[in-house]
Amino acid sequence: MVIRIAAVGDVHLDEDVVGRFRPALEELPECADVLLLAGDLTRHGTEAEARCVAEEFGGLAVPVVTVLGNHDHQCDQVPQVVKVLEDAGITVLEGNGVVLDCAGGRLGIAGVKGFGGGFAGRCASDFGEPEMKAFVRTTTDSADRLGAALRSLDCDMLVALTHYSPVPDTLAGEPLEIYPFLGSYQLGQAIDSAPTALAVHGHAHAGTERGTTPGGVRVRNVAHPVIKQAYSVFHVGDQLDTDQVSPIGQSGSQRSWS
Amino acid sequence: MTHHRDIGAAPPDEYVEAEIQRLLVEDPAVAEQGITVIRRERALVLYGEVESPHRREEILRLVSERFPDVPITSDIGVIRTQAPTEIEQLP
Ligand SMILES: [Fe+2]
Ligand SMILES: [Fe+2]
Repeated sequence: MVIRIAAVGDVHLDEDVVGRFRPALEELPECADVLLLAGDLTRHGTEAEARCVAEEFGGLAVPVVTVLGNHDHQCDQVPQVVKVLEDAGITVLEGNGVVLDCAGGRLGIAGVKGFGGGFAGRCASDFGEPEMKAFVRTTTDSADRLGAALRSLDCDMLVALTHYSPVPDTLAGEPLEIYPFLGSYQLGQAIDSAPTALAVHGHAHAGTERGTTPGGVRVRNVAHPVIKQAYSVFHVGDQLDTDQVSPIGQSGSQRSWS
Repeated sequence: MTHHRDIGAAPPDEYVEAEIQRLLVEDPAVAEQGITVIRRERALVLYGEVESPHRREEILRLVSERFPDVPITSDIGVIRTQAPTEIEQLP
């Protein structure tokens, strides 16, 4: 059983980008069963920008499943953004999941935006000022909802989709000082609480592609500036066709995040 | 109280870098967090990757408006959007 997953995050669309991804997206049916978008679809999260996303990523011959990113929250128009995306046939996840019937089996995808907080031994604690407690509780709530969604899905293969990173591995290349703004270990803990086969995230524009949770789940950072192509394709399953194993290029070297 | 030495001298490089970085993130016309600013001698060097040529021009315009007397070197790239030529197998 092999399920073919295409994924990209951080496309940050606005009018000036519409059309750039489309030629590659038209090839999706030949190489993937689903396209996952790992958040930061827009620059500022306006309804107008969401319409650009709908135009670019809507009406494809494969299902498109997304979470939102921090940029998609910037203008406080989340309900309008979600509506525009859903009207274009894009499934928007936030604390819930979806099961898709693919040729290789039933693919379950659970998603949340996630939040920051940092990683074991170097993380924020639910202590002190109300602002600090609100920050950490946002992360914990998000991770709890991801874990519950993952455990609730009845499927043959389970994938976790987030914007923020569940592990520090895929942040390599980012300044260490900003890791707490890039992800949190609680997301990894949630992913490890279910038989997850793959975790996909974005947000760390200067990070690296590959990582693993402490529980052994493969993690991939698919932020567009990291993968430097329209999307990456993963064949997830129990069969390894060695002819098709090939290295994917190293990540970029710019130091930035968003 | 802030003690100002060298009135008229340029502000320390770190503050200039911080100011430009925030300008690029917080200006609605740009909203880029992916740009690195380095102040070298008398020039500003901008590095990073953006999603369109238009955004690269906006960044240059914004920074040169704010620091009209500083020469700016830009090494900002536009991220490729071709279909992948390889897949990754995850058994
Ligand atoms: Fe982000
Ligand atoms: Fe982003």
